[in-house]
Amino acid sequence: MLEPMARVFERSVPERPADGGLFGPHSLVWRVHRDRSFPLAGMRSLMVQALHPLAMAGVAEHSDWRRDPFGRLAATSGYVLTVTYGDTAAAHAAASRVRAVHTHVRGIDAVTGLAYSAEDPALLLWVHAGMVDSIVTIVQRYGRRLDARDADRYVAEMVLFAEMVGVPARHVPASVAALREYLESVDLRQATPAARDAIAVVLDPPGLDDDVRELWRDLGQVAVGSLPGWARSMYGFADPPPEMMEREPVRQLIGALDLAFESLPGVLEARQRIELRMRA
Amino acid sequence: MLQSRVGRGAALARLAMRIGGRYVARSPRLLFASVERRSELRHDLALRTADDVAEELGSMKGALMKLGQMASYIDEDMPEAFRTTMARLQYKAPPMSPELATLVIVEELGDAPERVFARWDPLPFAAASIGQVHRAITRDGRAVAVKVQYPGIARSITSDLRNAALLRRLAAAAFPGLDARALIDELGERLQEEVDYLLEADNQELFAGYYAGHPVIHVPNVVRELSTPRVLTSELLAGSRFDEMQRWDQRERDLAAETIYRFVIRSLYRLHAFNGDPHPGNYLFHGRGRVSFLDFGLTKRFTTEDLAPLIDGVRFMVVERDGEAFRRAMERAGFLRAGAPVATETVVDRFGHFYGTVLQDAPMTITPAYASTIVRRFFDARSPLAPYSDVPRAYAILQRINLGLYAVLGSLNATANWRRIAEEIWPFRNGPPSTPIGEAEARWERQRA
Repeated sequence: MLEPMARVFERSVPERPADGGLFGPHSLVWRVHRDRSFPLAGMRSLMVQALHPLAMAGVAEHSDWRRDPFGRLAATSGYVLTVTYGDTAAAHAAASRVRAVHTHVRGIDAVTGLAYSAEDPALLLWVHAGMVDSIVTIVQRYGRRLDARDADRYVAEMVLFAEMVGVPARHVPASVAALREYLESVDLRQATPAARDAIAVVLDPPGLDDDVRELWRDLGQVAVGSLPGWARSMYGFADPPPEMMEREPVRQLIGALDLAFESLPGVLEARQRIELRMRA
Repeated sequence: MLQSRVGRGAALARLAMRIGGRYVARSPRLLFASVERRSELRHDLALRTADDVAEELGSMKGALMKLGQMASYIDEDMPEAFRTTMARLQYKAPPMSPELATLVIVEELGDAPERVFARWDPLPFAAASIGQVHRAITRDGRAVAVKVQYPGIARSITSDLRNAALLRRLAAAAFPGLDARALIDELGERLQEEVDYLLEADNQELFAGYYAGHPVIHVPNVVRELSTPRVLTSELLAGSRFDEMQRWDQRERDLAAETIYRFVIRSLYRLHAFNGDPHPGNYLFHGRGRVSFLDFGLTKRFTTEDLAPLIDGVRFMVVERDGEAFRRAMERAGFLRAGAPVATETVVDRFGHFYGTVLQDAPMTITPAYASTIVRRFFDARSPLAPYSDVPRAYAILQRINLGLYAVLGSLNATANWRRIAEEIWPFRNGPPSTPIGEAEARWERQRA
């Protein structure tokens, strides 16, 4: 399960980059995206993103995520990592690949009867906002220090991320407050059967060993507990017990998982490459 | 702790082995050695704040790495995984930046290291478990090694240990063949000991005091007034590391092996205390069999009662060769369930491996192959005894020592009449000196009496 993520991580952090990439080693984007709480942020992102029926329909009808959920997750995380830590050419190449895939993703959503296209800036913005909001929320709660000012700077830097896949910059929220305001302003939010189905898989993916499954489920509960209230009620999830959400035990859970991840070939070395460039 | 290993192969188990390997790779314990080692520390990745430390070693990481290390001693699959991991990683924990180390010295010793010591080397020369080691010269002119603990690590380890539910689950997942509760208890004890350098100082002083004046065994003295729970200052030693000594001729290697062997047996049977980590990084070699023993972070003291079954074991297995009496002794000690439907000769055959070096009164070479056979048989879950044998926790540390000792002697290809050496030291035998080192040791013993 962690192996595909490790391979992607190693590949996305170049050994000899041509330049500092789109953001540069001293950006907030670099600092935030190496946080060890990232898997948790990823889970929460999926939970928020799935609540847009058209975004969800695009995934449900045009991807093989169900057959290989971790492969799909690894592909997404590879994209984020390449745009972050890759050099400018690699970032642009990754973005054009994603845009090329998006041209084929279109159809009619069965639940709402609405037409959708993955090139639709409105959908892309939703997906972007779900991710950025989740990263800020999770890193602030469970990651390394990220104060309000830096969080705003991070959100502003991330506008470029949305632009890369085709959202005009002027539409992209550039502060934490604007981001949350935007998320709550989207009318077409609901937990469709496809969304429930997908999130059930996220919470309990097939093929996990019994021993890892328990840890994964706990992490899922933390992701649920960190959702905005509206998102949790759309899914009908109960609030997890507050002691489960405390910073220290969650960090311990993340730490255990992260150690397993870091032990895989290439991960530590990639992390060191990031660290050294940030210090240079 | 030795139970069947069904269910092994789970992803986390494999991962945990790698974790254990990495821990060993990044924690070569105290390597009081040449300055060149310094280049192996990643100063370019130095930890600069307590936050960095928490990120690198907190949140279960330190605890799990330790768990992996511990399990490596008692888990059949670990040693090979260790070797491959170490070869692949070549990794060391990043040291603290000079500023961060200074911060700890100020908090612990009350002033900047440049003022506490006459001279202070701001760059550490070795990594240590949960800390690093600096060279310094005290104001009264003694060369010392100063072990400095990562700030915040004690608190974070305590917090990790408090999350027993998660730890138990992780241990059960990672080491399905082992008793998770016992493993966690042991982990707790070990970590609590490790975070308090004063405990280590006590242990080191016990050994240093006992071996004072010994002809070939040396334990560095502790500088009490410059030691605290997070700073341990000891006499600085120079010598050759294990891998350097490996290139010496066989005669020298045999002598080194004899001293290590004497140290292990004597510490157990005479001092009733055990430095439980016969790791190659914990020795410095000075030639002609002279060895310095470093790092007492993992020490176990034995009571006379703890020792009784071990002494009985030797007596009945090796000296009197009375199988039935041996079996009853093992049952009394809790190593073997009473009334197990196993023939006594099987019991003798299986437990006999522990006594392989002392069964015969003759020179014997411990080859790497022999050492790994011992280790494998030791953990053989298919042994007819496996369902009925269990090693009580008090003796778990002995397993570590046994395995570590065999590994060390095996890699030296060492030859000696181990039985004669043991006979000198076994308190119920008091055999005559059997080697030149034995002669010197006997003189030392007469002088200290």
